[in-house]
Amino acid sequence: MKLITLIPVVDAQKCKGCKTCARVCPVVAIKIKDKLALVDAERCRGCANCEQRCPEYAITMVTREKPFLVKVDLDGLDYGKIKELCLKARFHPEQIVCYCTATRAEEVAGAILLGAKTPDDISYMTGIRTGCKVECIQPLLRMLEAAGIQPKPVPGGWQWYGRTITAWEIPEQVKEKYASRGFFFAEDIELLNRVVNAPLQGKE
Amino acid sequence: MRPPIKPIPARPSMYGIDPSLVRTRVSELPGMTSVALHELFPDLPPVISPGQDGIAEVRKRTVEALKDVDMSRIKPEHKVNICSSHHGFTLLGGEPYAEMLRTIRDVIEERTGCRNIRLRSGVGLRFRETEEYIRRYKLDEYFKGKAMGVAPVDEGVAIDTEIGTLYGIKRIYDADWIVHAHNSDVREVHFHRMVDRAVKPFGMSYARIETRSTYHQNLGPRAANFVARAIFDSPFVQSKFAFACFLTVAPHGILGVDADSDLYSLNERITEIGCRYYGKMMELFGEIDECIAVLDFPCPVVYVFSAGVIYANFVAANTDLFDLESPLPAYTWYTEAFYGKRGYPLLPDIPRLNKAIKMCVHSYAWTGYPSAFFSEHIPTVVVGQEQAELFNRDPQNLNYMQNAVVAESPECAIDFARKVTGVDKIVIFDGAPGGINLSPSLRDFLLARAPEVSRRVDEELMPKWLRQRGVIVKPVAA
Repeated sequence: MKLITLIPVVDAQKCKGCKTCARVCPVVAIKIKDKLALVDAERCRGCANCEQRCPEYAITMVTREKPFLVKVDLDGLDYGKIKELCLKARFHPEQIVCYCTATRAEEVAGAILLGAKTPDDISYMTGIRTGCKVECIQPLLRMLEAAGIQPKPVPGGWQWYGRTITAWEIPEQVKEKYASRGFFFAEDIELLNRVVNAPLQGKE
Repeated sequence: MRPPIKPIPARPSMYGIDPSLVRTRVSELPGMTSVALHELFPDLPPVISPGQDGIAEVRKRTVEALKDVDMSRIKPEHKVNICSSHHGFTLLGGEPYAEMLRTIRDVIEERTGCRNIRLRSGVGLRFRETEEYIRRYKLDEYFKGKAMGVAPVDEGVAIDTEIGTLYGIKRIYDADWIVHAHNSDVREVHFHRMVDRAVKPFGMSYARIETRSTYHQNLGPRAANFVARAIFDSPFVQSKFAFACFLTVAPHGILGVDADSDLYSLNERITEIGCRYYGKMMELFGEIDECIAVLDFPCPVVYVFSAGVIYANFVAANTDLFDLESPLPAYTWYTEAFYGKRGYPLLPDIPRLNKAIKMCVHSYAWTGYPSAFFSEHIPTVVVGQEQAELFNRDPQNLNYMQNAVVAESPECAIDFARKVTGVDKIVIFDGAPGGINLSPSLRDFLLARAPEVSRRVDEELMPKWLRQRGVIVKPVAA
């Protein structure tokens, strides 16, 4: 869930149509036409990636006249399926998977059950990955994979490249090799497993 | 009464309020005092900065540290990337780190004849931050137009490692050689747990979002920093790694400069310094039974610091951040992730935030790091409507002000905090060089507790901490 309060404004005099903004937009809301960046205002989730990476400093974030909330409403969805998907991806359903928007795994699962096929779709539906834009890509890829979906990155984009390893997949020889160097792989897996299987606090 | 130490000044940045709005520093309020870290821990070694020889000493020490580093593989026709990070620019105002970077450049050129030496500067979650530092310290001119800030959303490069594919930032590695220019300040010990601290930027400020998300979401609180080792040890990075050069830092200032072609040797040296000196400060802060914490420094909420200890570590000072037998500090992102819908941890053994902090006075701190968790769990007063509005506009902090109140001025905020909490112990996170700005009652408290803390760290905790990391105990390094 995220309140969308900002929108980018492109200075046409400064924009050179370099595509950087389009390549970093987590919801693919920017297109380049006639060497000018065009923002889809409805699709934009106000993350400011475009403003922060524009090499020409051509983008300014301004306050929207009408802020709006994006969220996946879990009412009406089968919570059993939400829980099943979270656990398959090894997340507790109430685990926070985005520290900026405080999005929980259950909302990501809800987005997937409602038809999200890519991280970009999930960001569009929930607002996740539109705060810092850095830390929450792996939970999205893990959840999609658990749902049997293999998303493809946006061609030519830098939004994301691929899923990486999890604690449960660390090779045994790696665990053994570094056990005396302060890497507590097995102990961390035990902790993560306990969290995943902890009771729900909210209403099931 | 000892006067307060002049804090690090407010600085212009897109992530903070206009410095002209920071009219009063909390240390300037009536009744505030300071304590020098040498008063608390007389065994702290001498520092070069702050010091009478100033920045010239940093240059001299950098040249000396690089004297025995083999640079013979760097040829005149090669490209070299000096890889740096935002964090160094927050130490003592940033000039010591900037001078180390300039000196590394000069020494490489002089020793190798190579002139194509570029500065690449990585960031945390504020993608323009190092661009601001590059301008502030005129590094682009010094590097002849070849200085550049890089961010984790920039174009990536896939790196094959012993735990599969991870991703780095392409512009970090687009040279024949890379030089790792960093510092030993422990800073985010809640994340790296002082395991491979020297290697961390390879999994963080030099890395793409996929890697950083692996660190903070996929591996667990004590295994996280393995992504940094995996990337650094990869054939790709090893084929480019020339050497590392670090400012060595302790809570009271910069000890010197260390350089090595063997990053793990350097890591062992800074692990010992980090555990010993920062360990004492963190243990001492953990002794505080009740206090008002004041943020008054040009950095995001988590990174404001006092005596080398960042606020993110103070909110977890009720837990031993260095003890690897303890899986979760009271604050780290894994801990935050494990709070359920009703606002308490999903497991009973997950530690809660430091209960000694009765209120936080956010007098001056920046946006650009998700901080709502703190205002949700610690009563928070933010000074000035302008600062509140800045947080309301930050995509990472849209919820921060939902649980904070606004005071008109630092005076009002401190007065309010004192009245509401009934607490007189005040600690100010304003980066005061060489000491701590605080209230007299807290000064007395810390001075009384420091000797026992020092003994405990030296005799009980250090052997355990180093053993857990496989570091052989050696005499204290100066």
